[in-house]
Amino acid sequence: MSYYFAIVGTQDNPLFEHEFGTSKQGGDGMSRFNEAARHMNQFILHSSLDIVEEVQWGTSQMYLKHVDKFFNNFISCYITAGNIKFLLLHQPTTPNSAAAASSRSSTSIAANPTSPQTEEAVRNFFVEVYENWAKTIMNPFYRVNMEVRSPVFRQRVAAAGRKYL
Amino acid sequence: MPSSNHDSPLESIPSPPMAASAFQAQKSRYSLAEGAPRARSEITLPYRMSAPSAASLYASTLSPPGSRSQSPIGRPVSRLAAGSIFGGFANNALALVDGVGDSPGDPLNLILKAFVPHVAVYSSEDTDLLLREKGFELGLWEILRPFGDRVAGKVIIRDSNGLSRTYEDYSVHFVRYGEGIEHPEPMNSNIKSPAQSEKVAGSSEKDTGSQQTRRRGGNGADVEAVVERHLSYAEESFGISPQLLDPKQGLDTETPSPYYSLYLRRLLSGLPLVPHETFAHPVACVIAISSRNPSPIETLRRLYNDTSAGEKRLPSWVDSEYLRYYVLVHDEEKDDITKSMSLFEQMKRNLGLHCHLLRIRGTQSAATDDDSIPLATSEWMSAAEELANLRKHESQEDFEDPTRYIYESDATAIRTFIREMVTQSIIPTMERHVSVWNDQVASKRKGVTGRIMGLTRRWGFGTTSKSSSGPGSSNYDTLGFYRQDAPEAIMRKLADYCFMLRDWKLAHSTYDILRSDFHGDKAWKYHAAANEMAALSMLIMPQTMSSKTRTETIDTMFDAAFYSYLTRCTAPYGAIRCLTLGLELLRLRGGSSVDEAAKWGTRLLESRIAGPIGDALIKERLAVCYASKKAVGTHAWGARRRKSAMWSALSAETWLAQAKYIQAQRCLNEARKTYGDLPNDQGIDHFAEASAFMLEIGHQLNQHLQSNDQGENSSDDEGSEPVDEESEVMNERGRRISTLGLPGATAATLEAAPLRSQTTDEDDDVDSGKPNNDFG
Repeated sequence: MSYYFAIVGTQDNPLFEHEFGTSKQGGDGMSRFNEAARHMNQFILHSSLDIVEEVQWGTSQMYLKHVDKFFNNFISCYITAGNIKFLLLHQPTTPNSAAAASSRSSTSIAANPTSPQTEEAVRNFFVEVYENWAKTIMNPFYRVNMEVRSPVFRQRVAAAGRKYL
Repeated sequence: MPSSNHDSPLESIPSPPMAASAFQAQKSRYSLAEGAPRARSEITLPYRMSAPSAASLYASTLSPPGSRSQSPIGRPVSRLAAGSIFGGFANNALALVDGVGDSPGDPLNLILKAFVPHVAVYSSEDTDLLLREKGFELGLWEILRPFGDRVAGKVIIRDSNGLSRTYEDYSVHFVRYGEGIEHPEPMNSNIKSPAQSEKVAGSSEKDTGSQQTRRRGGNGADVEAVVERHLSYAEESFGISPQLLDPKQGLDTETPSPYYSLYLRRLLSGLPLVPHETFAHPVACVIAISSRNPSPIETLRRLYNDTSAGEKRLPSWVDSEYLRYYVLVHDEEKDDITKSMSLFEQMKRNLGLHCHLLRIRGTQSAATDDDSIPLATSEWMSAAEELANLRKHESQEDFEDPTRYIYESDATAIRTFIREMVTQSIIPTMERHVSVWNDQVASKRKGVTGRIMGLTRRWGFGTTSKSSSGPGSSNYDTLGFYRQDAPEAIMRKLADYCFMLRDWKLAHSTYDILRSDFHGDKAWKYHAAANEMAALSMLIMPQTMSSKTRTETIDTMFDAAFYSYLTRCTAPYGAIRCLTLGLELLRLRGGSSVDEAAKWGTRLLESRIAGPIGDALIKERLAVCYASKKAVGTHAWGARRRKSAMWSALSAETWLAQAKYIQAQRCLNEARKTYGDLPNDQGIDHFAEASAFMLEIGHQLNQHLQSNDQGENSSDDEGSEPVDEESEVMNERGRRISTLGLPGATAATLEAAPLRSQTTDEDDDVDSGKPNNDFG
């Protein structure tokens, strides 16, 4: 299971990008995206903004759950009060390596991107990131739609990823 | 706005701007109507210079098929601009039957024209000889076929409720008798042993061998190959075509790309004669003799016997009760008309009313003759056949023009003949069959009692129905197909007839019953086909449908059809056909159906059954599909522009990998334009890897296209194009594309020399600086 997490500003501009892998079931926390198709993550994420913009008006929640799917990639979204979108692309491991994994992993969040457990785990991740995000952009020098380069923030996102996903 | 008065001719005059802006769809139709002839002349002009003879072979993608001047069939006055075909903004229902025939590449139109009555042609040797002297090697069939693409005049069809509807665009397909039969696999055991399948393959191999290359369709690989050749030809013959690459045009959601419509058309051409669907089964058979025949009545009798008994009889799963239509071909130049007239009278006395005297001239017509008109090739030739034609052309050194000419009088005679046969014999016969079958077979299965009876029969309670099978056993088990007299086969025929007569409602309800029957019998191919057609007929029906019914019924039907075709029967052709047609029909419904359409499109891509060409075409189509979703409000909520742009970019990549640079360029331009039109100016540029990817494609294309350009330095100086480019730079929104997108813009702005040098400079700029540095 590999994750690509991006925070997208109001102008469809990425403010923060982070890639990581699962840390559950002995995962090493490294992403396993196909190098040749790395650009696809960005394309998919960007295109799912279409769906996000539609879904965001239909719910009062900030967490929009799993909004879009592109072949094997699933997109979850959390939208902040300032119309900043947290988008998480999760790509389950490819079937051939999944076959090698134990049956225990079939109940894991990695194998079921749409299960309630996964939705809950992603929500926890998003909530924690949101907390850190709010703290980070309180920086008096930060202006809206400015890229976030803080290493502390990146560390905290990585920690949240390790903790929940 | 009134959409009902589109029949009045006045409407076709472009109305004041107010009306035009109110109807966006209508507006683009105007531009289409005006644009098409211009584009055609632009294309054909340089083309004729390079290779005059081969042009006709590739005509279907070089110009919209509808605007071909050489069609023998007079088209009615175009009503393109009149009225809204898809109901303007109320886009959840299709008002399709009127006026759909006006845009020949339109997928819906293709569906209507593909599933039409098939008329077999079986002629005596002397008739073939006569036609051969006239220059038609393949006999009567060859000369009749192009005229079947459009039956002249109006055709009135009464549906099962007795309501008459008039169609102006009805067509029939002429096929050669006994051609293209695909036998079902024997069902002795459920396990397919390799030896068995070998045997089947071997027998079909033998069949095709005996029929030379004139096989029927139903083969995905052939379709791919045909489109591939068309594409390569386009690559070779002109580097860049102005019409396709116009960057300002944007995604045209109304007319599909010529290659996509060719793909669809070939997919639907030459439907094979198979047990699980009866579209290709002959509705009628033209039995023809000529006036040269010494013993006419005996010959007719012999031909009739051939079709109903003996070696040449169609297999037992084809209903043998189809109509026989007797034609006497009279040679105007050599034979005596009075003799033919008396013979014809005799035929009518002996054989009933389904007779026709076709008077044609027995000599070959040349282009130089006064009253000769060119005979178009049929739009519905099968993929294998077109492929064979193209191969023949490649192997020949001196290519002779395949266009053939016939006398105006012959064309009129044939048109009259076909019209008479269709309106006076075929349609009434089909209507009669529909009502009889509906009363006798289908009505028993409708309603509560019918369903219970179906169950009891299936589970072996009580008495069995009149079919010969014992309790518990179905009509399917032993043979691997339903015999022509099984109720299931008759109902399938009923449903198909209804579909061909455009009575969608009855067709759908019948398919719906059949679905469960076939499922119970485990007749998977039948099951797949019934599901496919049930879904299609439901989508064509001009009624609104809630998203709930759609997800519940349509999805399950497509799902079942796709799964049965692909997994249970290994019939990828059926699977491709089913999902592409489903995609098109769902797309036309608009609204949230567009998302469904895209879902099935991605499903098709995911299954990887389409070849590389099909793959690219479907990706391209998905972009169009997403682009056709209408947005709401000023912020364009609910649009799918980013998705559309992504698919355009992906299709560009796929085309590039296949060295189809023109297509790739077009897709890339579309992607850039769609990204550029997004409300925030930057599109995807801030995503570093994605925009680098697009730049990379642009660079590669530039290299290829430039190397092509240097080969054929064009002489004509397109002064206006750079100006256009300037004006786009001025445009604030387009600013980003025009600076970033210049690698692609070279191609878009033709072969003008000064522009190219300018572009390379720009390229270096873009290359050295990061693409988004001016926005940081």
